[in-house]
Amino acid sequence: MKRLAFFVFIFFALSSTNSTAQCNSEALSNQCIPKLASGFNFLKSYKIDGEGGAKDKVEYSYVFTKGTQYMINICAPNQPTDGIVVTLYDSNRNKVATSKVNGQYISAIAYPCNATGIYYIQYTFDGSSTYCGGSALGFKR
Amino acid sequence: MKKLFPALFTIILMACGSEKKSDEQAFMEELDSAQNTGPTISEAVIGDILQQIPSPLEIAVLLKESGKKYNASLLNSPDNLPKYNSNYKKALNLGIYGADLGYTNIYEQNQDGIKYISSIKSLADGLNIGQFFDIETIGRLATNSKNLDSLLLITTQNFNSINHYLQTQGRANLSVLLLTGGWIEAVHIMCSVAAQDPNNKVLQEKIGEQKVILENIMLLLSFYKDKDQNMATLYDDMQELKKIFDRVNITYTYKESTFEVVNGVMVIKDNSTTTIDITPQDVVDIRNSTVNIRNKIIS
Repeated sequence: MKRLAFFVFIFFALSSTNSTAQCNSEALSNQCIPKLASGFNFLKSYKIDGEGGAKDKVEYSYVFTKGTQYMINICAPNQPTDGIVVTLYDSNRNKVATSKVNGQYISAIAYPCNATGIYYIQYTFDGSSTYCGGSALGFKR
Repeated sequence: MKKLFPALFTIILMACGSEKKSDEQAFMEELDSAQNTGPTISEAVIGDILQQIPSPLEIAVLLKESGKKYNASLLNSPDNLPKYNSNYKKALNLGIYGADLGYTNIYEQNQDGIKYISSIKSLADGLNIGQFFDIETIGRLATNSKNLDSLLLITTQNFNSINHYLQTQGRANLSVLLLTGGWIEAVHIMCSVAAQDPNNKVLQEKIGEQKVILENIMLLLSFYKDKDQNMATLYDDMQELKKIFDRVNITYTYKESTFEVVNGVMVIKDNSTTTIDITPQDVVDIRNSTVNIRNKIIS
């Protein structure tokens, strides 16, 4: 009986540890909304949950239209981006933009779209410690 | 220790029970089972396509930024609300009223906006998604034009929450209708404005590029058309519109983009281009077809 009680205790202790380490990507994506630059209207918030490293990317898509400027930003729990990189691809999977440049992680991309179409917004983890973040998409004319 | 074991057993049972569906959830599913006609493809794929559909707000902003005046007569009257009794009509018109609310908000026509808020709340309640529409906060924000940013933010968030909820509850069919309604209304408003300004190339191109979005909507409707008569009828109507859009040519040319970092923001210079070939007659035909579809929805 003592052994059973011990295992039950361990089970709950581990469950508790796991729940505190869970990724609250919804809260982080909500934090990102007011960080969109002035003049941008909010469109979407995106959860970035790499499931502790089990996922190497999280991807969304959106139709961007010519003549509209879009902004995509990143929020992470501790550091500004925690190694999360956002890369934008066009419908043919050509790379259009990335937030990592010269080893530097930028927390926001402004993209004045010149070509209407479906774009893929891909988040990857480059040395991330939490594999957890949020992002917001806004637009202005 | 003998007392400890039953207590631990109870805790384990309670913990496992947390995944059990709540009564409210079970009720909602039962309520919807009569109307929910399953798609022929996974909900995840449908969710991926749904999230691509742009907000009608983008078109309202375009119209305002290009100097077009507010015109309430272009919108679906909020007084039409009693006509919408089926879930099919409620979902489509919720999308239409949502687009109309966005239009009134962008033009800061708060008195008109409040009427739409009320009708939207009624339709959302009728679809059991009223809990996502914070009418008190929106109503309060709508009374002061200084709150425009907050008003736009909260209404967009509410509609995003509704769409997300519908998809997680296996009711993506309603989400498809909601977004289709919003798109139809935005195209209707844009085409009506273009009719008054037939030489406006920017507007014509904007109408032409809706072809990309229509293709997604047609794909979504196709998943349901074989199992839902309403969806089949809507699909057939939209097919007529698609035939006109098929005359529009969109040519995409990719060229690598360049960038610079300004105040901590990476600013991209997009060197790719699209050219949109659309004739004034195409615009007229798109407008007529859209009016036909919309009239069936709002009547």
